[in-house]
Amino acid sequence: MSGGAATGHQEGHAGRGRLEWLRDPSLVGLCLASLGVVVAGGLVQVTFGPFTMSPARAWQGVVDPAVVLDTRWMLKFLLGEGPMRAVTGYAAPDMPAVETGSLVVWTLRLPRVFVAVLVGMNLAVSGAIFQAVTRNELASPFILGVSSGAGLAILLTLVVFSGLTALLPLVAALGGAGAFLLVYAIAWKNGTSPVRLVLAGVVVSTVAQSLQTAMFLFAGDIGVVQTAIAWTTGSLTGVRWTQVRMVLPWTLVSMTLAVLGARQLNVLLLGEETARSLGVSVERVRFALSGVAVLAAAASIAVAGIVSFVGLVVPHVVRNVVGSDYKKLVVGCLFAGPALLVAADVGARLGMAVLAGSDSGQLPVGIVTGLLGGPYFLYLMRRQQNLGEI
Amino acid sequence: MAIDRTPGSAASATADDAPAPVDRDGAGELAGEDLVVGYPGTDAPVLDGESLTLEPGAVTALVGPNGSGKSTLLRALATQLDPETGSVLVDGQDVHALDAKALARTLGLLSQESASPDSLTVEDLVYHGRYPHRGFFEAVTESDQAAVDRAVSLAGVEHLRDRVLGSLSGGQKQLAWIAMVLAQETDVLLLDEPTTFLDPHHQLEVLEIVETLRAESEVTVALVLHDIEQAARYADRVVALRDGEIQARGPPDEVVTERLLADVFRVEATVEHGPRGPTVTPERPLHEDGA
Repeated sequence: MSGGAATGHQEGHAGRGRLEWLRDPSLVGLCLASLGVVVAGGLVQVTFGPFTMSPARAWQGVVDPAVVLDTRWMLKFLLGEGPMRAVTGYAAPDMPAVETGSLVVWTLRLPRVFVAVLVGMNLAVSGAIFQAVTRNELASPFILGVSSGAGLAILLTLVVFSGLTALLPLVAALGGAGAFLLVYAIAWKNGTSPVRLVLAGVVVSTVAQSLQTAMFLFAGDIGVVQTAIAWTTGSLTGVRWTQVRMVLPWTLVSMTLAVLGARQLNVLLLGEETARSLGVSVERVRFALSGVAVLAAAASIAVAGIVSFVGLVVPHVVRNVVGSDYKKLVVGCLFAGPALLVAADVGARLGMAVLAGSDSGQLPVGIVTGLLGGPYFLYLMRRQQNLGEI
Repeated sequence: MAIDRTPGSAASATADDAPAPVDRDGAGELAGEDLVVGYPGTDAPVLDGESLTLEPGAVTALVGPNGSGKSTLLRALATQLDPETGSVLVDGQDVHALDAKALARTLGLLSQESASPDSLTVEDLVYHGRYPHRGFFEAVTESDQAAVDRAVSLAGVEHLRDRVLGSLSGGQKQLAWIAMVLAQETDVLLLDEPTTFLDPHHQLEVLEIVETLRAESEVTVALVLHDIEQAARYADRVVALRDGEIQARGPPDEVVTERLLADVFRVEATVEHGPRGPTVTPERPLHEDGA
């Protein structure tokens, strides 16, 4: 914080220090509330599951010093077992002993919460960026063809090139990024415009989705279809530390770039002509920021598939609370995105058990976010006159 | 890490008595040479080889009927439209030789499009005018604050400073946008139809700002106006266009004549030359081909 900078020029005006805006009470409140949801959802997630233990035992497991303070365990989680052994020189065949409860919490249940946090962040910020780039409040991370490209790549891999199944996360992310580049190429004609980008996105999505649906007809057995559906609706079932390691670096990169690009996003919102007259290289900035958003979306697709609605709803909720200043909006999304996804994943993982009384079925989390997102938009439609304008 | 500011005595001192932007190095000469400008999808260019040099420090008004190419000419000068041939020079330097931010520190534009987030405050909007003056990682400096204070004071929007744009009238919004381009502190300022769609009060507010710039600063101003009488009164030079061609240019007294109104605007009018410039009384529209 730039201490003491709050006393600006004339009386009554807010300070203009570098981080002064972070003190906005509505933003602080939103972040704290989101953090509360994440913690509460996380605690629920680590408590329940096939291995039965008391809440107290599970929560002790989360802070078990035998795991948390052991660099070998932490490095194994964050880097993988091989690199951990290389770094620490640990040579024993087994990992250091910890209680089973802690082991279940740390190896099975917590990584799922962490992945939900990272995916929620990525999707929310990605959506926020695309809403500025396309100047449309109803834009999502998938508006420029990313989801349909990824979906097609997933289906092609599962049905046609089944030898590549091990590389599915990478193929899905690349499919999404490829579709985005195709959209940009189609939209480009001496530069782009928000409308042309969205239309090109529709073109590519339509074709890719038709092909994707056609691909289902060639799927040999129901298992392949179920895998495909889990990927194309978004699921966190079975994610482990491998997925955390997969998504974490890209999340750090894209979230940092998004925070740094907030001022450019703010100027883009003033309209292309004004942005250009203020010295923004509009085309370059738009492509670069879209690239950041696609990177975030692709990283989340690689670990969770195509989770809908998070990237659409979260920026919207945050904007309603903190306003359209992208510095605040991006930071708000970094907290609110994880809150929505962690909460939705509680429903996805445990909802069926509560409703149907069986502990077998888990829903893809994308189904839960869709079930939450739809009614929220209905509510907005009823309440707001000018939905859609940023 | 953050650049702290001492509570600003300098800022508040300059806010009241110094409307003229400072920090100008160039002379503020803007010239378009042999501009051929069209829009994608149309065959014939709107402007076919027009040249215009804005007199440094003076106010130039572009007038002409709808579709005469006056906004196109202004937007070409503002480098918003890439001419097919011809060039735009700022202080003798081709605009393409300057990087985007350096150009934006010299050449400002009040655009006709005024898309703005409703929840943005006037002050935040005006701070966006400082964008070309700030590096990627730079925080707001004292000179940014001083510039914003001057711009807000000159545009007369102090009382609106903390209001959000969504709560303002069209005229108040326009003044806020003008404050933004003033905060940019450019040598050349181009205003694209700054008074169109405003009520008389806000039209005069806008023109008063132009008047202040003309009298008290070295800024070169060009603006597109629909009201030829306003153009004659507030500008040092008037440029009249019709069908993409400059028909007349010069001081208002020489340009604004009954002959010009007939030729360019197809209006029969009486023009009287008084102490405050020519006054125009339109009589009736002229129809071509004896219709």
